[in-house]
Amino acid sequence: MNCPVCKEPMIILELNKVEIDFCPNCSGIWLDEGELELLYSIDKPDNELQKLFQQTTSSKEKSYKCPICRKRMIKTQFSNTDLILDRCPQNHGIWFDKGELEKVLTIKSNSSSEKILALLKDMFSYNKSQEAE
Amino acid sequence: MWELIQSNKRKSLILFFGMGALLILIGYVFGSFYNPESGGAVGIFFAIILWMILSTISYFAGSKILLAVSGAKEVTKDVHPQLYNVVEEMKIASGVPYFPKIYIIDDPSPNAFATGVKPENSAIAVTSGLLSTLNRYELQGVVAHEISHIVNRDILLMTFAGMMLGAITLMSEVFFRGLYFGGGSRYRSKSSSKNSGQGQIIIMILALVLAILGPILAQLFYFAISRKREYLADASAARLTRYPEGLANALEKIANSSYKLRSANKVTAPMYIVNPLKREGMKLADLTSTHPPISERIKILRALQQGVSYKDYQKVFEMIHGKKEKIIPDSALTESIPVAPIMGLANQNKSFSHVDAKREANDAVMKLNDYKFINCKCGVRIKIPPDYNQPIVVCPRCGTRHQLG
Repeated sequence: MNCPVCKEPMIILELNKVEIDFCPNCSGIWLDEGELELLYSIDKPDNELQKLFQQTTSSKEKSYKCPICRKRMIKTQFSNTDLILDRCPQNHGIWFDKGELEKVLTIKSNSSSEKILALLKDMFSYNKSQEAE
Repeated sequence: MWELIQSNKRKSLILFFGMGALLILIGYVFGSFYNPESGGAVGIFFAIILWMILSTISYFAGSKILLAVSGAKEVTKDVHPQLYNVVEEMKIASGVPYFPKIYIIDDPSPNAFATGVKPENSAIAVTSGLLSTLNRYELQGVVAHEISHIVNRDILLMTFAGMMLGAITLMSEVFFRGLYFGGGSRYRSKSSSKNSGQGQIIIMILALVLAILGPILAQLFYFAISRKREYLADASAARLTRYPEGLANALEKIANSSYKLRSANKVTAPMYIVNPLKREGMKLADLTSTHPPISERIKILRALQQGVSYKDYQKVFEMIHGKKEKIIPDSALTESIPVAPIMGLANQNKSFSHVDAKREANDAVMKLNDYKFINCKCGVRIKIPPDYNQPIVVCPRCGTRHQLG
């Protein structure tokens, strides 16, 4: 799968049985819908995932195409934060830009977004420590 | 077992010659329709050529084409050890002397099929979706069902039946195209004024009737044999695994899946363990469906409480189906040794983790696509696609730099 921003092939990282696609070039992250489901599979009230993402029209960011279906992704707000992510209109997954990842790593997790944030913080602990220096 | 094979081989031969006869008839009638004097012979000639080409291709390369069309890739033991072990177990249990090749199709929809006109070059293909949804006992049921198709020579029978359907459909298609562009009427108007007007009308009506009904009849026939084969394979699978609940659970999971198989089409649909094209059928659709209703197959398997021999299956089938219909040839029903089902394996399913199975299935597909795997010492597993062109990869968790190449 190629990165929607820089079109380079992405590598796959697996930690605690969850896989995420990572672009080593631009440090963007692709979270697959199936992986999100795995992350929430144990205690998933069906709309919890939906609640995490609210559509927004206020963003002026450049829009990207979904790496799976090539449809233009929709800007969505992540769990009541000021984080604007790209979400595939056909629910193939969500895309975090590099800057967005850094913001994610500093967010105090609330209950519903906790799992995603915990995973990302753990996975990118080295990158985070680099940022701090 | 051998009686089943014998009866199947006989049916294959009858079908083979029946197919030729039907084709010759259709060729003759269509040919005469266009040219009453010499068209019949030309029609027969073309029909035989078409039939020979289709049969030769399907006999020698049918399974290769089928596997290629469905995007299946051959796997070795280290790609998916559990699948390999299950196939090995069922191969030994069924007594087939040849080890079937194992293929995985990268598709989230759970399904499986067997192919290969000769047991020597048979193959079993399963989707990655099947591997990620089924536990070991369920997978065993599905593999046993597929092995049974190989043992019972179902594939040979279905290949010839499929080719008959294909040739007849092709010919009536060509006939209607010709009719549409008016090729026939030109010849007919010249000759019908002079002689045998009556015979010409009979040929005309016969040709139209054959063109319309031929493909439909052939299809119903094809579906009917296909349905019977499925029951027989279910019965054999229950007998091989002695655990009908496994296959029943597997069928239930497959039926409940919301994914649609991408590579399936009308001709390949009957090959799969569960019809990939149709949702759970209503009673009305029974005549045209390639598979028995899943709910009925599950009900029969779950009712096999007393034993799992062919006799038990036939008995339960008649009880649930409500009418007498031979699913299993008489010779196989004489089996006197009672085969008791294994009970209580369901408790062992608790160790099954959906996440693990999904991960394992996805990894198998990635291995097939030449991904490199690096286990970083910090616990992160890095999977690198074949088109990744950087010389090193840095673990984002611990910062270790992994050299590639």
